[in-house]
Amino acid sequence: MRDRHYKLVATLMFVFLGLWTIISLFPYYFQFITSFKGIEEVNRITPTFWPDEFLWSNLDLVFSDETNVAALLDTLLIASANTALAVFLGSLAGYALARFPRQAGGENMAFWILSNRMFPPVAILLPMFRAFDTVLGSTDNHLSLIILYLVFNMPLATWLMMVFFRDAPRELEEAAYLDGYSPLRAFFKVTLPQVVPGMMSVALLCWIFAWNEYLFANMLVGSNVAVNTIQMPGFVQGAQKLWNLAALFSLVAVLPPVVLFMVLRRYMVRGLSLGVVKG
Amino acid sequence: MARLEIEGLCKGWDFPVIDRMDLTVEEGEFFVVVGPSGIGKTTLLRLIAGLESPNEGRIILGGNDISRLPPYKRPVAMTFESYALYPHLSVFENIASPLRARRLPKAEIEQRVKDVARLLKIDQLLTRRPAEVSGGQKQRTALGRTLVAEPEVFLLDEPISHLDAKIRHELRAQFHTLEALRRVANVYVTHDYAEALSLGDRIGVMGRGGLVQIGSAHEVFEKPQTLFVAEHLGQPSINVLDCELTARDGVLHARHRESLLTVPVAQAHVQRLNGGNADRVSYGIRPQHIAVVADGEVVRDGLHVIDSTVTLFEPLGTYAILITETAGATITALSSPEHRYTQGESIRLGIDTAEAFFFDAVNGKNLVL
Repeated sequence: MRDRHYKLVATLMFVFLGLWTIISLFPYYFQFITSFKGIEEVNRITPTFWPDEFLWSNLDLVFSDETNVAALLDTLLIASANTALAVFLGSLAGYALARFPRQAGGENMAFWILSNRMFPPVAILLPMFRAFDTVLGSTDNHLSLIILYLVFNMPLATWLMMVFFRDAPRELEEAAYLDGYSPLRAFFKVTLPQVVPGMMSVALLCWIFAWNEYLFANMLVGSNVAVNTIQMPGFVQGAQKLWNLAALFSLVAVLPPVVLFMVLRRYMVRGLSLGVVKG
Repeated sequence: MARLEIEGLCKGWDFPVIDRMDLTVEEGEFFVVVGPSGIGKTTLLRLIAGLESPNEGRIILGGNDISRLPPYKRPVAMTFESYALYPHLSVFENIASPLRARRLPKAEIEQRVKDVARLLKIDQLLTRRPAEVSGGQKQRTALGRTLVAEPEVFLLDEPISHLDAKIRHELRAQFHTLEALRRVANVYVTHDYAEALSLGDRIGVMGRGGLVQIGSAHEVFEKPQTLFVAEHLGQPSINVLDCELTARDGVLHARHRESLLTVPVAQAHVQRLNGGNADRVSYGIRPQHIAVVADGEVVRDGLHVIDSTVTLFEPLGTYAILITETAGATITALSSPEHRYTQGESIRLGIDTAEAFFFDAVNGKNLVL
């Protein structure tokens, strides 16, 4: 009796989860097959769920256009440089807030830094454009976005790193001092290794934000430098609406975050649960 | 050469923790600080190590004032109560850490770590992580890390308090025999009086503000200068009765103010007590100086016998603790575990009056020292 009941629940659960998986994955499936359809097939009134023929030549069409490749590389450069800066600076600030809260401004300072994430980004869109245009002369370059994204990634990195550093026992650092390490060497020998899992998850979050950002990129760059998110609409803005190539390009753009996430998943779970369990 | 001197050391936050402390620990001496938790024992070690800076006073090591040096420039090694092992490094790397800090050649590091590990019997564990070894092995690793550094002062903060009894005993024996500890000044902190009595060449009992009494194990245990020292050393702890001194039939008696218990004062103490003018005292008698007197047993001289009732009998293997109600006062005595007493049983207790202490009721000073 109990057994049968259990089996019923298990079956229903699997049916439900199966349906859910299909629903979630279907858009990706459709994007995938659309990527390799011909444009005639894409525009057909009755959609096809398996292409008449896989047109691998679509890959050529996308990547033979240098601007598409450049957009991917520009985004990679901007996201990576921004992440490195955000994690580096955020770690320093987070360490200061965790270890010397009084000198670093205390809870109020920490909260103020976090509060920079709380306004709607669009509110500072025009002022930021003006500011960058005035200071840098032109905004259409890598540097402007690398710096601008710090506005959003630094608070996140600082706050999370502060939590991770707080959880790293101070006594270990003190033990390192007594072993003869100066504060800087002790930091690298003992403290940093303890926050690496957390740091990885922070880096991943920062990188994904920068990789996906559209609003500011659209305002600041576009000619000399282009990023994925502003390159993508180009496929369907002309006289010809190349939905298949747009799908293919965004499929390529989605891959790096997915791969990164899979590689860093181990750290991600540990890192995010660090703050939760111990904090 | 490596004598540790502390002069007029002061440290406090909202209240003074250490107040004008003076102390000298000789080279090769094992100095044990014992005291209740939260009294500032660890703070003292942290001051010597440089993890805290003193408000006043100087710390001098081998003739050099090290008070202003940062911890990493002091020739001091310390074990932490929590062991503070680096979780991401192997046992080998943990022990090697002080040597790596000095950037010694690889071969020398390897040799010295292995020597220390062999000495501490952890040479089989060098590749493991701290999380993969037992509590006693963690402690040995932490100890190895301090030994390998060859410092001039060893600071040991409750190094064996959190281990189980068997390993505690084993490691205690190790402290007695470690040659390396005989060449430097050692400051060992514990809250366990047995550890202190066993290990200390000298013992400092720490109370509010600093060291209350310094002396050999025999001195602090047998001749406590204050009530605080007497209460803190010994398990079960000393019986303390708030008493009045009164003459009865020409003999001086201590009369408990809260019960009917009255005990004659031994002849040896009378003179000292008459010298002072205190008529109110804290009467202290250790449980081991109170014994059960069997029916018909010949009562030896100096033993004051009183009727009492058993309230609790606690056999502990080699001895037993007997808590009794004696003329209305609660008295703890030691007995042999062989005879099992039951609650409510009537017995006779013999108090060895010559072993009693008399402390000033106001300032706690020992009046019969």
